[in-house]
Amino acid sequence: MIRFKNVNKIYPPNVVGIRNVSLHIKPGEFVSIVGQSGQGKSTLAKMLFCEERPTSGEVIIGGWDITRIREHDVPLLRRQIGVVFQDFKLLPQKTVFENVAFALEVAGEPIKRIRQVVPQVLRIVNLGEKIDRYPHQLSGGEQQRVVIARSLVHRPKILVADEPTGNLDSVNTHEIMELLKKINEFGTTVVLVTHNRDVVNTLHKRVITLEGGQVVADVERGKYRL
Amino acid sequence: MFVSILRITKFAGQNFWRNFWLSLITISMLVLTLLTINVLLVLNLVTDKAIEYVEQRIEVSVYFNAGVEQEKVTNTAGYLRDLPQVRDVETITAAEAYDRFQVRHAGDTAILTSLEEIGDNPFGPTLVVKAFSANDFPFILSALDNPQFRDAIRDKDFSSYEEVISRIRYTTDRIRLFGLGLSVIFLLIAMLIVFNTVRMGIFTHREEIGIMKLVGASNWFVRAPFLLEVIGYSLLSTVIMAALMYPTIAFMETRFDSYFDGQATHLLQYFEMNGWMIFGAQFLAVALISMIATGFAMRKYLKV
Ligand SMILES: Nc1ncnc2c1ncn2[C@@H]1O[C@H](COP(=O)(O)OP(=O)(O)OP(=O)(O)O)[C@@H](O)[C@H]1O
Ligand SMILES: [Mg+2]
Repeated sequence: MIRFKNVNKIYPPNVVGIRNVSLHIKPGEFVSIVGQSGQGKSTLAKMLFCEERPTSGEVIIGGWDITRIREHDVPLLRRQIGVVFQDFKLLPQKTVFENVAFALEVAGEPIKRIRQVVPQVLRIVNLGEKIDRYPHQLSGGEQQRVVIARSLVHRPKILVADEPTGNLDSVNTHEIMELLKKINEFGTTVVLVTHNRDVVNTLHKRVITLEGGQVVADVERGKYRL
Repeated sequence: MFVSILRITKFAGQNFWRNFWLSLITISMLVLTLLTINVLLVLNLVTDKAIEYVEQRIEVSVYFNAGVEQEKVTNTAGYLRDLPQVRDVETITAAEAYDRFQVRHAGDTAILTSLEEIGDNPFGPTLVVKAFSANDFPFILSALDNPQFRDAIRDKDFSSYEEVISRIRYTTDRIRLFGLGLSVIFLLIAMLIVFNTVRMGIFTHREEIGIMKLVGASNWFVRAPFLLEVIGYSLLSTVIMAALMYPTIAFMETRFDSYFDGQATHLLQYFEMNGWMIFGAQFLAVALISMIATGFAMRKYLKV
């Protein structure tokens, strides 16, 4: 599903993003990527949806070689990958429904399908009732759930979540984690970037630790350890 | 596909309304640019008309000696009529010339009494020759130097309109050059404004654009609204220009026509007949150049 081979990312002029990373994530896995600030977690995550490209090495995502992908294939790749990002927000002037529908609209999906899919994914994130609210009428946790719902509209094979609980309290964090687990149980591969020790420790899933852009630990059923 | 075009149109409309004042400035500038171009166009038409008007009035008067045989005059007139350069020959008989002189000096008793004192008609017949073009007169004049006619002719008088024409040309050429320079400057400013409007549009929509890209909108879906937006600006400014143009032309035409002795300039008719082509071409040109400016703005600010 996801395969990194000796991947390096150097930001010009010479800032190391990640260094010599090789890893393999199988379909259906739930992987946490941990590490202190500036160690390359987001860099790695961005490569999964082609936001950044490796300086050298090979990144294969679901059959696509990111190093050699053609410009007009990038949108197709992105439709197979859900992205929940630290600073990837909702549009304030759109309702919950419209925010989620937006992801389908811009991909050219017909209205009929939008009317069908949007309530569906909003039910998955337990926001079926609040479909007509605006983002400012929602709590932080609810907003993040809308973002997750939006990332699910294309039924992605991979969900990349970079600090999805960064700004949330423990109750909301717990809700989001339960949601991610549920999505993973439906068969979606989840890659979670996080700082949160408790989150990682209660997951009992694979943990990849980054330091200085390198993988320093990759443990099945791991713990947050720095 | 159809639904995508609809959505792109919607996004383009949003760009337009969210930066309404910028849109307004952009359209105003495009209208201003089109205005200079259309003023040039009208100037061209009016200049052509003015030169034609003057040229039609150029004539050579050929004065025959008094008492020349009528046959000689008729022959000369016939010869001139056969020349391809000659548009019209009018014959004024000696008696008519006498009458005209009297009429022209009706108030001047001194001249009239001296005319009566002469007793005889001192005037010979006159031919008034009109050519198709002012350039043909030297040839016509030299043709009359032919000995066959020369002896019967007392005098030839060529009213020198050439100077008038060259003065019209000189003035309008300078205005045209100035107008052309102004158009180019306005066009450059318009392009800068279009560039900036698109830049601001990208800036105000950066969140949407970021989301669009991450959820897999194709590149053309991200770009098309901006292109469509400037096509809309071009269309709107051309329509505004045309809407301003017709009443202005209609008004100007009445002025010009009285200036040219009621001879119709057909300005409005010209615009009515060629309006689709004139404004269509202007729309296409403005749209094309705006789209190039948009392309630059997108290349610089819209990384996809
Ligand atoms: N676009 C960029 N241009 C230049 N340098 C960058 C860029 N993005 C990241 N970096 C640098 O690459 C390194 C890794 O950054 P990255 O964002 O991957 O860290 P991170 O592990 O996600 O940190 P955090 O936990 O704070 O989000 C850092 O030194 C950062 O300064
Ligand atoms: Mg980060």
